[in-house]
Amino acid sequence: MSGLDLPLTTDRLVLRTFERSDVPLVSHYHLLPGVQRYLVRPTRYREDVSEAVEIMRSQVGLQRPGDTLTLAMQRRGDKALLGHVSLKWSDATAGQGELLFAIDPAEAGHGFLTEALTSMLNLAFDHFHIHRVFVRCDGRDHHSAKLMQKLGMRLEAHYREHALFQGEWDEELHFAILDREWQASAKVRPLPLRESVA
Amino acid sequence: MGFFPALPIMTSRVTLRPFTRGDVDAVFDYRSREEVALYLFDAPLSRDECALAIQQRISQTSWTEEGDKIVLAAELTETGALIGEVSLIWRSSEARQGEIGWIFHPDYHGRGYATEAARALFDLGFKGADLHRIFARCDARNDSSWRLMERLGMRREAHFREHALFKGGWDEEMVYAVLRREWLNDA
Repeated sequence: MSGLDLPLTTDRLVLRTFERSDVPLVSHYHLLPGVQRYLVRPTRYREDVSEAVEIMRSQVGLQRPGDTLTLAMQRRGDKALLGHVSLKWSDATAGQGELLFAIDPAEAGHGFLTEALTSMLNLAFDHFHIHRVFVRCDGRDHHSAKLMQKLGMRLEAHYREHALFQGEWDEELHFAILDREWQASAKVRPLPLRESVA
Repeated sequence: MGFFPALPIMTSRVTLRPFTRGDVDAVFDYRSREEVALYLFDAPLSRDECALAIQQRISQTSWTEEGDKIVLAAELTETGALIGEVSLIWRSSEARQGEIGWIFHPDYHGRGYATEAARALFDLGFKGADLHRIFARCDARNDSSWRLMERLGMRREAHFREHALFKGGWDEEMVYAVLRREWLNDA
């Protein structure tokens, strides 16, 4: 899993590894309630953010199962840090990967995540030869759910109250796409209909 | 915390009771069959493997910690014939989650015995053990299993495709679930 060529570039973004100096830029979006709500590891204070950035800074490749690659989404023109995207190699024998992401709500809705995640899906399938990529999101997180469908991911699971999340009953959606589905979609094709679950 | 149900459990036609050493032949009669093992994680069992499994099950009649299983023999109350097995696994203590499962002898399919036994097990999980949610998993090709889940009022929560390997190929797995309030309103 070597030979990874970073940063990745898209039309409007540079996807690069994190640096220590990113802490203030990350604090800018990471501490917002709307972002907090769906983070697995919430950061309530600025000190927590430097810890989070330290972790993200160490996630620079996929050497062994369980590893995560995390990249900062930086806008090309003004170099603003808009959020981050991660690819976790969750299972080696079955070639499974998970995408995670967060964006500054002020920058959401302009297709930046679509661009970044498209690039990460290409990386997962073409470079890392992953068989299936999935995304988990909160059932109330309509923006993420719409985004997944836009990317051509299928809704595979809709769990209700199957765990406690931040002290409340959860509602969790799983979206997934297989390597052959991603290749076939060739980036511009009508989206597959979503599976009926629940 | 722990859960020590009063056994046996009687439904109108079926008795759910702990396994005993004398059940080996009756269990071997269905667990040795290809058609039964097709969608189970286990391959067909030899008689020795059945004996070993039963040895384990004799004590699987209560929960003392997360991950513990209650596995019961299902027998026809009228004739005493062993027709299958049902299980309830304590999956999460914090979120009060349980997983239900069943395996029935093909000779006894299609007569509602599994439905009857499963209903008793849901009552046990929700009323007895105070679970919040009970789920079941099965291979997507195992129509009779997920149809039974639907008859029981479970919702299809997941249909995973190729998310793991199963017996040397890609899997296709379904997850069904029912919440405590859904079950208690229904019952």
